[in-house]
Amino acid sequence: MSRPTFTPLRQALVKSFQTLESNQKLWASALSECSPLMASLGNLAEQSRALSKVHIPDTPLGTFPDLEQRLRFKLLQAMDTVLGKLNEKMSSLQSVRDAISNQVSTVFQLYEQNRDVLDLPTVTKRSATSPSIADMMEWLQDAERHYQQQFLRRTVLLQMLRADDLSLLESAPKRWKSLESPSAEENITDILCKVSFFMESQ
Amino acid sequence: MEGKPDVTVTSANRKFAAITGSGRKIRDNAADWHNLMLKWEKLNEDGLSAATNIVNIRRSLVEELPSSSSSSSSLFAGGAAELQDECSKLQYVVDKLVVVVMKMERLMRLQQGIQDLDEFQFGPEGRMCPLFHTWKTGQFESTSRFLLDIFSKELKLKQTILQELAHTASADLCMVYLSCWLHQPFVPPQTRMTLEALLLETGHRSV
Repeated sequence: MSRPTFTPLRQALVKSFQTLESNQKLWASALSECSPLMASLGNLAEQSRALSKVHIPDTPLGTFPDLEQRLRFKLLQAMDTVLGKLNEKMSSLQSVRDAISNQVSTVFQLYEQNRDVLDLPTVTKRSATSPSIADMMEWLQDAERHYQQQFLRRTVLLQMLRADDLSLLESAPKRWKSLESPSAEENITDILCKVSFFMESQ
Repeated sequence: MEGKPDVTVTSANRKFAAITGSGRKIRDNAADWHNLMLKWEKLNEDGLSAATNIVNIRRSLVEELPSSSSSSSSLFAGGAAELQDECSKLQYVVDKLVVVVMKMERLMRLQQGIQDLDEFQFGPEGRMCPLFHTWKTGQFESTSRFLLDIFSKELKLKQTILQELAHTASADLCMVYLSCWLHQPFVPPQTRMTLEALLLETGHRSV
């Protein structure tokens, strides 16, 4: 077993974990910026709901003829602005997912190319400071799957929203929060801890 | 010679700082519109926080009302004083808004005066050569009227909200009042663009 054959793979692994580390922070910051936006979306839905429940002509506001339409227009416009901002955040999340996916697929490609030299003992060999190649590849796949799932679930949630479906809009912040999965995030932090010696040794 | 200075100031690259007469007046008015609208926005924010407090205090007062023990009655009095305090704050904001609209009316009258002078000097068609880039004098007047109409209507709405907010029992109606205060339904989205156009024309914003 000549060492140079799988050096590229090791380098790709290191690069993947570096990408994972930096993108984990990007992901968290983009996601934290989404929460207030989701909250204001829910709040706007609440305001629309209140407007629908109130019969304006019977209130002191009845003296303003087209108030209801105007306010409704303003509320829709505000929702539009919030959704636009959410969309921007979603593209940040997407680029995180893409960056990780790209790195991981590079690793798997390299593995496929060098399969004949990477026999079972080689890929499962581990030491006190370095996990085995197989383990690391598995962890990368776990991380990739996590971001992929998170991104898709959140995209689907946003795509289901309709301006005229107030109950859906009102419940959106809650459902957005329910998608959080702290255990998976912790898992990724764990992975990064487990590979820290391996990263330093390379 | 009224026509001559006009020719020089219409050149696009020139800053309009040293102009006199109608042009100067219109340029100053445009700056005043800008400042008044900024002030309006600031007051709107202050008013919103007072209005939100009023709604919240009222809600907590109503929740405490059923239990009429002596301890809660002192609490009630405290809440009422707080409510009164927030209402005075909102009143103060609305008074300031009234002043802003009065100043806007003054700008409108000034603009009307400039327009009248223009007609007096150049006949019903007005001056042929624009004072700044492209606008005729009448366009400054119609812009001012457009903005004034918006803020007068919005002021009336805010005055109604001030009168009703602390006396409204329905939570939904309170919410509608608050969202009216926040979203300013009578201020259409093109308001900002209109102001920017005015600033651009008068040279406050570079082309």
